[in-house]
Amino acid sequence: MSRLSFFTFLFFCSIISLHTIGQSTQIKGFVDVNGSFGKDKASFSLGEQDLFITSTINDRVSFLGETVFKYTPSTPTEFSVSVERIIINYNIKGNHNLIVGKVHTPVNYWNDTYHHGRVFFPTIDRPLLFSENIIPLHSIGAGFQGNNLGKLKFGYNAFVGNSMGEHLGMNMSNYKSLTLAAYIKPTRKMKIGVSWYHDVLAKGSQVHGKTLDWKVTQNLISLSIANFGKKFEFLAEGTAGFNKTDTTGQKTTLASYVYAGYKIKEKIIPYVRFDNIKYQEGEIYYHTNNMSKLVAGIRYQLNYLAVVKLEYQYQHSEMMSDANNIIAQFAIGF
Amino acid sequence: MKQLFNYRISICSNYLRLPLIAFLLSMSIQVKAQEKSLVAISHQSGAPAAMKMSELRSVLMGEKQRWKNGSRVIIALMKTSTSIGKTTSERIYDMTGDELNKFWLALVFQGKAQAPNFFNSVTELENFVAQNPGAIGVLNKSANDSDIKDILIDGQKMF
Repeated sequence: MSRLSFFTFLFFCSIISLHTIGQSTQIKGFVDVNGSFGKDKASFSLGEQDLFITSTINDRVSFLGETVFKYTPSTPTEFSVSVERIIINYNIKGNHNLIVGKVHTPVNYWNDTYHHGRVFFPTIDRPLLFSENIIPLHSIGAGFQGNNLGKLKFGYNAFVGNSMGEHLGMNMSNYKSLTLAAYIKPTRKMKIGVSWYHDVLAKGSQVHGKTLDWKVTQNLISLSIANFGKKFEFLAEGTAGFNKTDTTGQKTTLASYVYAGYKIKEKIIPYVRFDNIKYQEGEIYYHTNNMSKLVAGIRYQLNYLAVVKLEYQYQHSEMMSDANNIIAQFAIGF
Repeated sequence: MKQLFNYRISICSNYLRLPLIAFLLSMSIQVKAQEKSLVAISHQSGAPAAMKMSELRSVLMGEKQRWKNGSRVIIALMKTSTSIGKTTSERIYDMTGDELNKFWLALVFQGKAQAPNFFNSVTELENFVAQNPGAIGVLNKSANDSDIKDILIDGQKMF
C-alpha cells in the first residue's frame, strides 16, 4: 500500500512538473502611499496594493489577473479585496485575439493603459470622469481585439459584456453592453482613439450605490489623443454621455481632461491637468454636480519601478465648497 | 654620464609614449565600435532571413505576435544593465535602459504583449534562441550555433 502511495505521489509530482515546464508565470505588484495636506489638516493614507499575474499557458493561450487590496473603512478589517481584471486571451491569428473575462472597458486611453499601477499614472489620481462614474470601468464578457495592424498600427476592440445595471458576476436581464473601440498610432509616440459604448440599464438596477427608478439607455462616445514623446507629454480625452429615459428624454453630459507634462531632466517632469464635467439640466443617471479640477505637480522618476509625485489640486464644484489640497505620493512596482 | 643616460631614457620614453597613446586610443575606439555594432539573430524557424530596421524595431517592440509560418514571436534581449543591452536600448528602441524596462512593464501590464526574456550572458541568450522556434534576439556578434541564423537588417549583417 505504501509503495502504491509512493508511486501515486511520484505520478502526481511528474504531472505537476510537466505543467510547470509547460507554462511560464510571473507575479508583479504595485503599491502607493500618500500624504495630503488641506484645510489645515495633514494625513497619510495607503493607496492600493495591486497584485498582477501573467501566465503563458501554451502557444496561444495566456492569462492576466489583477487583484487589488485596498483600504475600505466599512469592512471589519478596514481592507477589502477587489478582482479588477481576469483575462483569458486566445491568439486566433497574427495580431487578432479572443478575450474573455473581466476587463477594464476599453473606452479610452487611460482606462486601457494605466489600470491600477500608480507608478504608471502621469498624475496622482485618475481624472474626474473616473471618480464621477461617467465611464464604465469594468466589463465582464467576451470580445475580439487586434493590435498594430498595417502601416498606421491600427487597433480595435469589440467587446460584449453584462449590462452595468447588473452585478458584474451575473447578468439577470437580457441587456448587454457593447463596446466598439479603434485607434491608430501615426507615430511611435502618438495614439489617437475613438470608442462607442452602448448599454441599457434596467429599472431597479443597482448602479454606483443607488437604485435606478427608470430604465436608462446609455450611449458614450469618447475621443483620445495621447503623445508621450522624449520631452513633451500630452494626453487629452473627452466623453460625451447620452442618457435616455422615458420620462426625461435624452440628456447630454460632457466630460473631458487635458494633461501636459515636460521632461526638464531625465527624471523630472513638471505637469498640469485640467478636468471639466458639465451635465445637462434634467440628467438623472449621473450625480449632476458640475465640476472642474486643476492639478499642477512634479513627478520624480527614481527608476522605472519607483516614482514620487508632489501635486497641488484645486477643485471647484456646484454643490460643494472649493477644495485646495497638496498631495504627495510614493508609488512603486515590485 | 648618469644624467646623459637619464636624458636618453626620457627621449626614448617620449618617442615611445606617442605610439603607445595612439595604440591605446585606437584600441578604445575599436572596443567602442564593437559595442556599437549589433547583430539580430533568430531561431532557424520563424523570423525571415532579412528585415528592414523599421520591421525589426516593430517586432522588438512587441507589435508582432506571430511570424508568417505561424510560430509565436519570442523576444530575447540582454539585460539593460549589460553593455549589449544598453546599446540595444539606445540603437533599436531609442530609449535608456530604464525607459525600456518601463516600456515593457507597461505593455505587459496592459495585456498587449508577453514579456521578453532578458539574459545576463550571451551564452544564455544564444541557448534560449537555439531552443525556441520563433525566438529572435540581439547580440554584438553572430552566434556559433547551427540552430541559429543571422538576420540581415537593411542588407547588413552588422548594424
